[in-house]
Amino acid sequence: MSNILETTLGPLVLKNPVMVASGTFGYGLEYSDVMDISVIGGISVKGISLAPRPGNPPPRMCETPSGMLNSIGLANVGFDVFVNDMMPRLRDAKATVIANAYGTSADEFAELCRKFDDVEGIAAIEVNISCPNVKSGGIHFGVSGKPAAEVTRAVRKATRLPVMVKLSPEANDIKDVARAIEDAGADSVSLINTFRGMSIDVNTRKPRLGVGFGGLSGPAIRPLAVRMVYEVARAVTIPVVGMGGITCLRDALEFFLAGASAIQVGTANFSNPMVAIEIIDALEKYCIEKNIRPSDLVGKVEMG
Amino acid sequence: MAIEHTNKKYLKTIVKNVETVAPGYSLLSFDCETPLLGRPGQFVMIRGAWGVNPVLPRAFSIVKAGNVGQVLVRDVGPGTALLCNMHVGDELNVLGPLGNGFIEPKSSRAVLVAGGVGVAPLVFLMEQLVPKRVPITFLYGARTANDLPLKVRIEASADLIVTTEDGSVGTKGLVTQPLVDVLKDPNCVVYSCGPNAMLEAVGRVSMDAGVECQVALESPMACGMGTCKGCAVVKPDGSFTYVCTDGPVFVAASIYGGEK
Repeated sequence: MSNILETTLGPLVLKNPVMVASGTFGYGLEYSDVMDISVIGGISVKGISLAPRPGNPPPRMCETPSGMLNSIGLANVGFDVFVNDMMPRLRDAKATVIANAYGTSADEFAELCRKFDDVEGIAAIEVNISCPNVKSGGIHFGVSGKPAAEVTRAVRKATRLPVMVKLSPEANDIKDVARAIEDAGADSVSLINTFRGMSIDVNTRKPRLGVGFGGLSGPAIRPLAVRMVYEVARAVTIPVVGMGGITCLRDALEFFLAGASAIQVGTANFSNPMVAIEIIDALEKYCIEKNIRPSDLVGKVEMG
Repeated sequence: MAIEHTNKKYLKTIVKNVETVAPGYSLLSFDCETPLLGRPGQFVMIRGAWGVNPVLPRAFSIVKAGNVGQVLVRDVGPGTALLCNMHVGDELNVLGPLGNGFIEPKSSRAVLVAGGVGVAPLVFLMEQLVPKRVPITFLYGARTANDLPLKVRIEASADLIVTTEDGSVGTKGLVTQPLVDVLKDPNCVVYSCGPNAMLEAVGRVSMDAGVECQVALESPMACGMGTCKGCAVVKPDGSFTYVCTDGPVFVAASIYGGEK
């Protein structure tokens, strides 16, 4: 593949601007017998915590119109298993690994990111202050600027790796949070995580998720995500990574035009595990045809 | 059970046939240029080229593998309705084979216990065991005579005992009732798939009879391959196990507790 798609997000250089979103692509390895995972611009792995987490009681997911709800609860193998069992194979597969980090306090985030700093083959850290499915941490850090900045500062001090902070759409004002994490030293900002939603089985009168609520993702949230990417891109100077219901080249272009320098594909990986690679191929063809680079599109929406 | 190296593939297939095998049940056959591998109990994630809604593929037990794959679809919602109404020549994306299949009996008889649409992996198992001359007893329970898809296909190959809850065909009652009699000779392995309440009952009856029982579970899932962590099931010790990668076939005792 030519380097027409090469994308720079501050200190992070990606071979293309199409990543896969945390929680929708496992640790990447699950897909390695279906595709060449090295082609993907970046794999944001399932959110990792210091200790393994079992996750929430089932049912943990249900389908909704043009989307899905999940209440997984950051079930993950923990730092040690990830680094010892997964990372060697991810290095062998030449995957671009974005470590999605989750902690319940700024100190815990710092400890985790300090440990990631010593791991070979991690391209960047994505700081998860936006998970709606955990009792502590997660979205609670992401709803306002102060706690978001506190976590970001702690992570910034703990690591030399590029730091991307992932925002929640449920922030009081997502622009404030974006500015706060920029001031606190983030190299880039990714958005959006899911919206809290609810679905009820009208026959049993029970919620369709075991814990009642869950995060809504998929094409259903795309217009909300595009609007927020547009707003955040105008509020900060660091690069913006956009996501929310991207399923094809057209959707990706929409995010570039709104102001995203790169994108992440999430729920659509479930619809079609090859979708990220299909978007990369289509984007390359598009850029060659128009004789442009993706960066030429960033923020170029014409507001009339 | 151990994780199998399934050699899963993402196959672009073409619908070859859609046969209504009972009211609301379709047997969907698809041509695979690259053969669909897979053993009884393993499953596939299937989605048509229908745009963004429904977003997720659907999980189905494999009824038949090879150059023509087969799954049994019960029309229970928008996604399965689209699948039941597909036409010959339509594009169908198939990810599989996924999960762990049934472990075949070493020397004994096989007792297959199906509930409704749960018959799917057991028909595949039956068709693998028949050429190996493994004696098979097939118990098939359903709500009504209209909920017994593939009954004719089973009758052609195995001894079949049918129960229905309304008595419209076979013995009136639950499938566990004849199972108690069948397990009086405990030199067998029980294989079961169906609603969760039935599977638990089949598991308990088998364990009480001192017979090994393997159950194939169903769960909502998004990915089918261990990435979404959506298909968690609570084990007797309170920990979680995942239907897609730890199952879908489990030893009954590992899910329902009790002795093996």
